[in-house]
Amino acid sequence: MMVAPHSHDNPVATTDSQMPRRRLLAWLSGFGLFASALLAVVSDWLFFKPRVTYGPNARFAIGKPDDFPPGTRIARDVERVCIVREGNKLAAISTTCTHLGCIVAIADTGFACPCHGSHYDQDGNVTGGPAPKPLPWFQVSLAPNGDIVIDKNAPVDPGTYLTV
Amino acid sequence: MTPTKKPSGALTTLRELPQNVWNSIFRNPLPSTDLERSSTSFTNFFLHIHPVKVNKNTLRPAYTLGLGLMATFLFVILVVTGVLLMFYYVPSTTQAYDRMLDLRGTVAFGIFLRNMHRWSAHGMVAIVFLHMCRVFFTGAYKKPREFNWVLGVFLLLVTLFLSFTGYLLPWDQLAFWAITVGTSIAGYAPIVGQQIKFVLLGDTTVGQEALLRFYVLHVAVLPAVLVLLMAIHFWRIRKDGGLSRPEKVAAPAPDAGVVKLKKIYGLQGFVRGPFTKLGNVPDDSVYSWPNLLMAEIFVFVLTISVILVVSLLFNAPLEQPVNVMHPPNPAKAPWYFLGLQEMVSYSAFWGGIGIPGMMAALLLLVPYIDRSTHGVGKWFAKERLLANTIFLTLVILNVIFIVIGTFFRGPNWSLVWPF
Repeated sequence: MMVAPHSHDNPVATTDSQMPRRRLLAWLSGFGLFASALLAVVSDWLFFKPRVTYGPNARFAIGKPDDFPPGTRIARDVERVCIVREGNKLAAISTTCTHLGCIVAIADTGFACPCHGSHYDQDGNVTGGPAPKPLPWFQVSLAPNGDIVIDKNAPVDPGTYLTV
Repeated sequence: MTPTKKPSGALTTLRELPQNVWNSIFRNPLPSTDLERSSTSFTNFFLHIHPVKVNKNTLRPAYTLGLGLMATFLFVILVVTGVLLMFYYVPSTTQAYDRMLDLRGTVAFGIFLRNMHRWSAHGMVAIVFLHMCRVFFTGAYKKPREFNWVLGVFLLLVTLFLSFTGYLLPWDQLAFWAITVGTSIAGYAPIVGQQIKFVLLGDTTVGQEALLRFYVLHVAVLPAVLVLLMAIHFWRIRKDGGLSRPEKVAAPAPDAGVVKLKKIYGLQGFVRGPFTKLGNVPDDSVYSWPNLLMAEIFVFVLTISVILVVSLLFNAPLEQPVNVMHPPNPAKAPWYFLGLQEMVSYSAFWGGIGIPGMMAALLLLVPYIDRSTHGVGKWFAKERLLANTIFLTLVILNVIFIVIGTFFRGPNWSLVWPF
C-alpha cells in the first residue's frame, strides 16, 4: 500500500514514517550546500595562490669561487644573500631580516638590521633586538662550468659549508 | 476645433513643459506642511534613507559630534577623487612612480586630487576610530544595537585595510617599505601566516604581483565590501530604533489622568482604546526635512571644507622611487600601524598578532560581554565608569604606542627625542 503519496500537498496528512525521509533530504541538501561553499573557499584559495611567480629566480649563479677570496664576507643586496668564504669553505647566509623583512647590513659583530635594531652574529644567530629566528643559510653548489650556484629555496643547517 | 486653438495648445504645452518635467521627477512641492514634509522623506529616492521624523537627541551636535556622517562623507570624497585618479594611474612597477610625477607635473589638478585622496584617507581612519570611541563612551552599542557595533568594528578593519592597500600604489620608498614591514607582520600569524603573506603579495617579496593585487583590492574588492557593510550599518540604525538616546526619565504622561478620545481606527480601537499614537505620547521628534537634512549638509560642508583647505596647504608625501636594496632607516609602516610596529619591536608574535588579535576579538565581543542596559545615550555615564575606564585606558595606550612609533623612533628603531 502506498502511504499518502501526495503528502507534500497536504502536510497534515504526513505520516511519521515519512518524516525521517524528508529530514534526511533536508539534511543532505544542507550538507551539499555547505560542502559546495567549502569547495568554493578551497578553489578560491587555489586561484589566488600563484603557481608561477614573476620575481627573481630563487636559484641563481653568483660567480666563480675565485671572485670570493678567503676571508670574504660580501653582502649581495640584489639577491639578498651574504657570501661567506673562510679558507676553502663557502656558504651563503640570507640577509633578509627574520623580523620584518628588511635587508640587514654587515656589521663588525655580524649583521645589523636598520629597521628595528635586530643584531646577529657572524653565523646569523640572533644576539639582540626583536628578530625571532636566526638568518637562514642556503645551499651552495658548483655548476659544471664552475659557477657558484645558490638555491634560496633550499635552506641548510647553519654551519654547512661547500668546500671548493 | 478651430485653427486658432491649436497653436495656443502647443504653446501651453511648451510653456508648461519645464513644470511638467519637474513635477514628473519630484512628486512633492517643496514642503510647506507637515504632510508634505513626511511624504518628501519617503517619496524621494535619496531622502528615503531618512525616517520621516527623528528624535531631537539625534540632532544634538554635542551627542554624535557628526563623526559617523563625517566618515561617510570622507568615503564619498575618496570614491570621487579615487575614480578620477584611476584615469591616470597604471599599477605597474615601471610606470606607477612616473604616473605620480605626472600627477604633479602635467595632469590638471593632479596634485590637488592626490592630496585630497591622501588626506581624506588619513582622515577617514582617524574619524572612524573616533566614531567608535563616541559610540563606546555613550554606551550606544547596548541592546538592541549590538550587531551594529559588530558591523562597525568590521567597517573599521576594512577601512584600515583599504588605507593599507592604497599605501603601496605610489610605488615610492615610503610605500614599498611600509608594505614590506606591514605584510611581514601578517606573516607572524601561526600556521597560516606565511601562506597568507604569500597569497597577499602573490610572491615571496613585494613586487609587480603585490602591486597589482593591492590595486585590485583597493579599487574594486574592498570598496564593494565597504559599501555593502555601510548599507547594512545604516539600515540597522533605523531598524534598531534610531540613534541611541537617554532613556525617558519618568516623563509625565501628557494630560495625566485625562482620557481623551481620539480617532478610533477599526474594531480593535473599540476594544483596546485609541489605536493611534497621535497625541498620546510625548513627541520628542522633529521632521527629517529640513532638520536632519540641514544637519547633514552642515557636516558635509564642514568635512569638504577642511579637506579642501588641508589639500591646498599640504602636499601628499612622495619619496624617492622604490629601491629594494636600500631600506630607509628607520623603515616605518603607515602611522595607524606604527602602534603595532612599536609593539612588534618588543615581540614579533605578541606585538603583531597576539595582542592585536585579542584586541579585535575583544572589540567584537564588547556588546556581548557588557550586558547591562544602563547609561545609554549619555557621554561618560556614571553607571558605565568601569567599562569607560577600561576602554579609555586601551585607547590611550594605543595612542601612546602610535606616538612613540611615529615621533620617538629614529635610525635602528632607537629612541630619539623629536624636538
